[in-house]
Amino acid sequence: MSNVPPAVETRDLSKHYGQVRALQNVSVNIAAGEYFVLLGPSGGGKTTLLRTIGGFHRPTTGSVLLHGNDVSRLPPDKRPTSMVFQSYALFPHMTVLGNVSYGLSLTKMPKDQIQEKAKTMLEMVGLTGYEDRKPHELSGGQQQRVQLARSLVLDRDILLLDEPLAALDAQLRKDMCLELKHLQEQVGITFIHVTHNQEEAMTVADRIALIADGNLIEQGSARDIYERPKHRFTASFVGENNLMDGTLLTVSGDDAVVDIAGVKLMAKTEGQSFTAGDAVSISIRSELVKTDASSLSGSVEGHCIIGTFREAVYLGLTTSFRLTLDNSNEIQARFVTGQSAQQFSPGDRVSLHWQPGDTRLHAAQTKTHTP
Amino acid sequence: MTEYGNPVTYGLKWLYLLLIVCLLMSPVFYVMYISFNENGFGARHYVFTLDWYKVIFTDRQMLTALSWTMKLSIATMLITIPLSLLAAKYYKTTRHKVLTVFLLLSPLFVSSDIMGSALLVFFKNLNGVFTFVGDKYSILWLQSWFELGFTTALIGLIIYTIPYAFIVILITMGRYRQQQTEAARACGATGWQAFTDIEFPQIRPGVFSACAFTIILAFNEYTRTNLLKGGFDTFTTVLVSEMLNTGMSEQSYAMSSLVSFIAIAIIGTIIIVTLLKSDSIAQRERVKAEPGSNES
Repeated sequence: MSNVPPAVETRDLSKHYGQVRALQNVSVNIAAGEYFVLLGPSGGGKTTLLRTIGGFHRPTTGSVLLHGNDVSRLPPDKRPTSMVFQSYALFPHMTVLGNVSYGLSLTKMPKDQIQEKAKTMLEMVGLTGYEDRKPHELSGGQQQRVQLARSLVLDRDILLLDEPLAALDAQLRKDMCLELKHLQEQVGITFIHVTHNQEEAMTVADRIALIADGNLIEQGSARDIYERPKHRFTASFVGENNLMDGTLLTVSGDDAVVDIAGVKLMAKTEGQSFTAGDAVSISIRSELVKTDASSLSGSVEGHCIIGTFREAVYLGLTTSFRLTLDNSNEIQARFVTGQSAQQFSPGDRVSLHWQPGDTRLHAAQTKTHTP
Repeated sequence: MTEYGNPVTYGLKWLYLLLIVCLLMSPVFYVMYISFNENGFGARHYVFTLDWYKVIFTDRQMLTALSWTMKLSIATMLITIPLSLLAAKYYKTTRHKVLTVFLLLSPLFVSSDIMGSALLVFFKNLNGVFTFVGDKYSILWLQSWFELGFTTALIGLIIYTIPYAFIVILITMGRYRQQQTEAARACGATGWQAFTDIEFPQIRPGVFSACAFTIILAFNEYTRTNLLKGGFDTFTTVLVSEMLNTGMSEQSYAMSSLVSFIAIAIIGTIIIVTLLKSDSIAQRERVKAEPGSNES
């Protein structure tokens, strides 16, 4: 095991504003050079966590360690971090070059060296020729690049990004996502990126942490979070999962049998602790659910459940079938448009089926995750 | 005027504005008019002269009063502006905004006579306490702290001008986004550096306006100054005293006009220079900002 401390470590970090618990005992380790994404709904505490790491908030309890050093009480300018803000926060009275070179001008570095470094950084973010422009003369994407250059030119080893792409239009956001990822690979420093957009998170992240209600719910690789969510909340927030509530009938080792709308379904406990009679949920990603006429239900493989067809929603690349189970749970089946010739009418009884291994079992209530 | 504006309406708006300014300034213009009359106020015949302006520089009492007024105004400005700036910065961060505004603006709700007399009584009592303590313990330097004079007049003027300066600075500060300070801190700036490098350049117009406003307010104030000044005279107390006792002298009209000329010239110059400067800077920036214009 390596003795190198993580680039960022939070230990039981809590932040309270009076009665409001913005963060509750959050412990997380982020390795040097990792692209780490804090994902979650608005108001969940992810920005509070990022700002506490950056020194803009003091923790109520717990500590922040950067490269093994406790920096919990240090102001932002004394930490090896720099930050990119959602609303750009460029200095309007300075030119682009002035903005980028500001941080260096606070050091003892010679002026010509500052100019050279700032220009190199502007070249890296594709803004050569814009040195003399004022921020208001730039587009949103360009302003965000200036912010990136302003942060990266400082050669700090941790970059904090607070919803950096939220103010950009959809196409630009996609392009910038990839640019950010490539930039991080190029500079090799730790990026901690806050977003509520799961597509953005999955594009850039080496690892994702789900934050909601001030708690760290779950963390893992993008693939783990998407394909094997451990918590019900993760399944509801990431991807398009069908969540079905039911009762655990039996548990035997790793195998569990769950009653969903009168149908017995098998699921794996995957190390989670359950007892018979527990209220549980199962999740299954909508793209893994196949549909057939209910008359064919006897001939399909895997789990099968009957539902009532409500409507088909055309989404361009994909089409979603929306159905209702007999216990009123809603369920969706999604497929690439044009790959299914099935036509159903509202009220039709439809057989929904999927592979047992694709089913995830969750406790009905999300438990606070404290690793 | 916008592209869809009506030129006649636009012209009428300017005419209206001009009329309002003329109406407000007409008493001042009348004083200026009298100051050039060799025969003075109320004379039947108007004979233009600059003699009264020559005389004012020989009027020792008026020059001394003007000197005290300037000292008092500048001292007021030097203390009021930092205090107002701190108050405005506190207001931006505090959760108790209503209470803060109420406390800071409360001097505005009290008439100048009441505030002046209250301070007079307060300072007299305070001076009594200090004198008593000074006598009792033989600390002589305590005895004159709150005797009526420059310090007490200064405190009165600071209380008077802080609400105005606070509002003027706060208006400018309202446009400033706190995230820029955070961005500067993230770049390695200390709190002070973030203020001087990033925040102050953006609120500077408001601070300078507050400086000018404070000086003008302190210069023109009569009631509080008169009650708290003690033994010295200011420009306004001399003028009012003359009017009440002997009537204003011709050189007093000239002095009033001169002060008004200087104030109008300074404020006019600031406005014109600011407008011209912002226009030329914008033009220069647009030229510089063309991609490739800086490449040789």
